[in-house]
Amino acid sequence: MSEPDGRQGNEVSRRALLQRIALAVASAGVLDLKAGQHVHKAVSQEKQRTGEYTPQCFNGGEYQTLQRLSELLIPADDQSGSALDAGAPEFIDVLANQNEELAEIFISGIFWLDREMGRRQARRFAEAAEDEQIRLLDELAAAADGSTGALIDFHSAPEYAGFQDYTARPRGRLGPGARFFVWARRLIVDAFYTSPIGYEDVGYKGNHYRTEYEVPQEAIDYVMKRSPLGSA
Amino acid sequence: MLEVIRSPKVYDVVVIGSGAGGGAAVQVLTGKGIEVALLEAGPMLHPEKDYKEHMLPHHVDHRGAGEGGAHYFGRQPWGFFRAPNGAWDLEGEPYTVAPGSEFRWFRSRILGGRTNHYGRISLRFADYDFMPYTMDGLGSDWPITYDDLAPYYDKAEAFIGVTGSIEGIRSAPDGIFQPCPPPKAHEHLIKQACSRVNIPCIPMRRAVITKPLHGRPACHYCGQCGRGCITASNYASSQVQILPALKTGKLKIFDQAMAREILSDENGRVTAVSYIDKKTRTEQQIRCRVVVLAASACESARLLLNSRSSRFPQGLANNSGVVGRFLMDTVGLGVGGYVPALEGMPHYDTDGFSGGHVYSPWWEWDKKNKDFPRGYHIEIGGGFGMPGVGSFQGQVARIGGYGGQLKDRIRKEYGAFVAFAGRGEMIPNNLSYCELDPVAVDKWGIPVLRFHFKWSDYEWKQARHMERTFVDLIESMGGQVLGRRSPRLDGEGISVPGTIIHELGTVRMGNDPRSSALNQYCQGHEVRNLFVADAGPFVSNPDKNPTLTITALAWRTSDYIAEEMKQGHV
Repeated sequence: MSEPDGRQGNEVSRRALLQRIALAVASAGVLDLKAGQHVHKAVSQEKQRTGEYTPQCFNGGEYQTLQRLSELLIPADDQSGSALDAGAPEFIDVLANQNEELAEIFISGIFWLDREMGRRQARRFAEAAEDEQIRLLDELAAAADGSTGALIDFHSAPEYAGFQDYTARPRGRLGPGARFFVWARRLIVDAFYTSPIGYEDVGYKGNHYRTEYEVPQEAIDYVMKRSPLGSA
Repeated sequence: MLEVIRSPKVYDVVVIGSGAGGGAAVQVLTGKGIEVALLEAGPMLHPEKDYKEHMLPHHVDHRGAGEGGAHYFGRQPWGFFRAPNGAWDLEGEPYTVAPGSEFRWFRSRILGGRTNHYGRISLRFADYDFMPYTMDGLGSDWPITYDDLAPYYDKAEAFIGVTGSIEGIRSAPDGIFQPCPPPKAHEHLIKQACSRVNIPCIPMRRAVITKPLHGRPACHYCGQCGRGCITASNYASSQVQILPALKTGKLKIFDQAMAREILSDENGRVTAVSYIDKKTRTEQQIRCRVVVLAASACESARLLLNSRSSRFPQGLANNSGVVGRFLMDTVGLGVGGYVPALEGMPHYDTDGFSGGHVYSPWWEWDKKNKDFPRGYHIEIGGGFGMPGVGSFQGQVARIGGYGGQLKDRIRKEYGAFVAFAGRGEMIPNNLSYCELDPVAVDKWGIPVLRFHFKWSDYEWKQARHMERTFVDLIESMGGQVLGRRSPRLDGEGISVPGTIIHELGTVRMGNDPRSSALNQYCQGHEVRNLFVADAGPFVSNPDKNPTLTITALAWRTSDYIAEEMKQGHV
């Protein structure tokens, strides 16, 4: 997952590569894995960004709050970096810049967060002490998740994807903050796991060209040994 | 007077729609030297630039959430990376749903239709599926038997390529198979759980080739079939049948061509198809000897209902009044589980071909005393899937909170989930049908469909059986069932009608012209040069997913058309 991004997809060379692969496979019946990886790399050159990102939608203070939230919601640990490292603020800025409804959710939410922190500490959220930030986020998480924990019904079948709704049930004064917390967490989590840092963090191994598909015996053995139905 | 542009040329056959049925018709007819005009209501497909097969989320700024985060507002239900296919709502092309009913209609507008993205599960109907009325007194028998269709299942499988294994199970007739890739680790556990309760769990039958076939290279196991396959290693009518048929010189494709009406003469013979050329917003006519309707079951019904004349006041080939009736979808219910036994498993590439490498065919087909008729098959999910927008939100909702504890749990639980999806047979009923809306039209002025739909007790009881089965399987593996258990109440948990996208039955075939629109060759009882080659002709909707049977039936119909044309009968 660590291949470097290249600037702009080269449609011609990508297509040529894919055709070469198709031909090679059609004639030989097998696919050279290295050649496959070339295509993989070519395709991965769809997007590249160099240098510092300049926010398009959020102002400096707002963006700073998004950066801080990204560090706190998915923090760095001994295995991987944070959602800030994974580009979460940039992701949110890109989307909000294209969608006024989303921009409003985040801008109003950041206002709320700053005002609430101001009431408590006379500071904007991003400038408050870490323990104060965490105390507020803990309260928002508790309000958002409620006593039952579950916010949504999880349907893993892809055909249900369009029918999921993200329904928070926050109560009381923290309601608007809890609603924003749910939005921020949702986008920050998505941003983290859709980055190379996130793929590596969970240990995703897919998206390869293979001539044969095999399942490692050690994985099968591991599972069957732990099966409560008795080892097969 | 309306200016209509008529083609000077008279085509042998006009095929309307380019999905599984239209694709098979085009392939078979052009292969026999018959000149075909293909109408597709959407644009041409260009796999090399339309497909996003191997992209990772971070290759685009929006990570797959779509422009402006469409995903988060429910405006991108199929994901950004999915092959071009269609939508639940098409701009300017509405449909209506009668008060008290619920129905969603997925429509494709692209060369290849829904075959570009579908799950590619390819199951033959069982022998008993063709005689449901004889078996249990519900619904109607088909005018054909398994033996009539079997040679065409053979042809279809041999041509498009289907994986599988010889099993000798009556509910899952064997066919001509390519080898299926091996079960994944979690599937070994699921097989064990199934075998404990005598549920068969066998290699998947999927339209993916694992050996080269007719110039198409074998699968390269990237697990992204739904995005469209750049090497055409899975079946899509666009890549496997239609684009190759262009090389015969016998095929002319009219894209962005929305069929409006099928025109017939005083003798009840089809003479031409009238369509809107969306590019110029003009009405055109193509003259032909034969029409093959393959626009999808409901769209085909709509077109017939909109083709009225003094001879056919209720719509073309519809003096029986059955067009639009007997609308069925598949009964869908899914249950997911978190399985601690899978936690900590050595991570590996679980892509394979997309979806499970095993499935469970229906196992109680000979059981007499169950509380619902017919049955369902089980589709299986799990593995270390590609992270995408939304992939971990189920875990976030369940775990709650944020920070290091959330990150730890997500990491630990990744790949430790399984999912079971039941796909069961609905019994046709009088409250489920489509008709022309009395007032609404689409942007081309064509009257649109109004849907009526009701699940009956048969489906509710079946859904409960699914739920009990899946919960038992998950719990026997030591897993925890996720989400609300359903359906405890009617209206809870069972799939929204139409959303399994197996809607069919609306132009049904039969031996009796009083109760069917088409004969056993899917030929109009009243209009001999009109044929239907999608799932409209289906008399029932067995738990086998319709596509392979659409292909086989369309192939049989096309063979018959060619023979009838040769004999000068049509």
